[in-house]
Amino acid sequence: MKSSPKLRPCGWDALVVLLVLLLAVGCGAAVWGGNEATHDLTAVISVDGETAETVALSSLSGPEERTLTANGYTLHLVLSPEEVYMEAADCPTQDCVHTGHISRSGQSIVCLPARVIVRLEGGQKDESAPDVVIG
Amino acid sequence: MRGTVYYMKRFAGLILAAAMLCGLCGCGGAPADPDKAQESIQVIAMDTVMIFSVYGEKSTHAAYAAEDEMRRLEDLLSRTDEESQIFALNSAGGQPVTVDSEVSRLLNTSGMYSDVTGGAFDITIAPVVSAWGFTTDSYQVPARADLEELLTHVGMEHVHQSGDSVRLDQGTQIDLGGIAKGYASDRVAQIFAENNIPRATAALGGNVLAWGDRPDETPWRVGIQDPKVPDDRNTLACLLHLTDAFAVTSGGYQRYFEEDGKTYQHIIDPATGYPADSGLTSVTVVADCDRESLDGLPGAGTMCDALSTALYVMGEDEALDFWRNCGLDIDLVLVTADDRVVVTAGLADAYEAIEGSGYTYEVVS
Repeated sequence: MKSSPKLRPCGWDALVVLLVLLLAVGCGAAVWGGNEATHDLTAVISVDGETAETVALSSLSGPEERTLTANGYTLHLVLSPEEVYMEAADCPTQDCVHTGHISRSGQSIVCLPARVIVRLEGGQKDESAPDVVIG
Repeated sequence: MRGTVYYMKRFAGLILAAAMLCGLCGCGGAPADPDKAQESIQVIAMDTVMIFSVYGEKSTHAAYAAEDEMRRLEDLLSRTDEESQIFALNSAGGQPVTVDSEVSRLLNTSGMYSDVTGGAFDITIAPVVSAWGFTTDSYQVPARADLEELLTHVGMEHVHQSGDSVRLDQGTQIDLGGIAKGYASDRVAQIFAENNIPRATAALGGNVLAWGDRPDETPWRVGIQDPKVPDDRNTLACLLHLTDAFAVTSGGYQRYFEEDGKTYQHIIDPATGYPADSGLTSVTVVADCDRESLDGLPGAGTMCDALSTALYVMGEDEALDFWRNCGLDIDLVLVTADDRVVVTAGLADAYEAIEGSGYTYEVVS
């Protein structure tokens, strides 16, 4: 049987196959690779258990201050592309200020009296760093 | 030519079939390895920050179930919450109070650890700790006479239990702060087991549960903070490699104040009423978390919490004697004021010295 010239594969068919293939691979990668994808180092600011703001540090062009008012206390947080620190706070313990500057994924600044947690997530994971610190 | 067309058709068909299969799998939304699904949440409860990093298909459910459980325990065991059973007991003025069997069991467990540690762990030290202002952050050095009077109400002989009925002698108060987070970590382990969680870490202040191993199948890397640098949690005295284990650290550096050039830290010796001055700066107690024996009751996590406080009070020699003779399956990391890190034999292959820390490391048996 002789095939019709209209049914013969041509360059356009190959293009369609390529596009479908690329789309499928793209979808698969997005779903399967989603859990392992490393996103930018991000500061997650939570107040009283609720996420108040999420800031990708790479989106900052320079140091920015956030004033957090919670549980009767006022905290002044500084975020920059490289690090995060609590510049000042009127809480009684000052633990949050004493924590100093944090710059690696997994590090956090905590103010228990104000019930504020600032935690760095994402970014490049340092496999030799501790997963958890007790103390 | 006909052959070429035939194979091209088949080839295109195969590619499209593979692509569709790929897409169909993607539509399911499930990751290739369900063990790699992760949920990480932070919770402020029981006067501390808790971080749950949980893996597995039910990671989100387990993490939030753990948070709910922490809230429940906080309400049940708080000394300051007027609705809690502990508050009711402390306010009963010597009258008996009927408590939940869970509270009753924890009081029994507290009594047992008080016994085995010769009173170095004691939940009735609460009024003395308050007199120093550690529970309210209003620090002060109490008068010796005041401490001596308060000490007359300290001791588990002032706690009378008959089933779930509990009575405290007049003047006696209890605080489960030295054991509650350990019990909470036991409850978290139970939640992880019920949800078939393959791996997780739960950090409850100074209490850690290393559940399973890391995603790369190596042990979890658990850092012990350097007590000499209390403000920096990232400066370590030692690193432990742990799988299915509880680890609890107690150290005076966790809360302290200075007056007239002298430092007073928060762990009080029940024998003297003064901050323990035993030559140790931190004690870490490590025990296996045996998944087969979990029953949701006070277990190895509770034990580690109670013992870490007690061994800190005892000091190095007495703590090591206790470790050698207690018959409990525990190991210790003792950080001393003279810059030594003393590790017991069971952790000989599981600890890592920190280069440049200034500590010397010893393994004892």
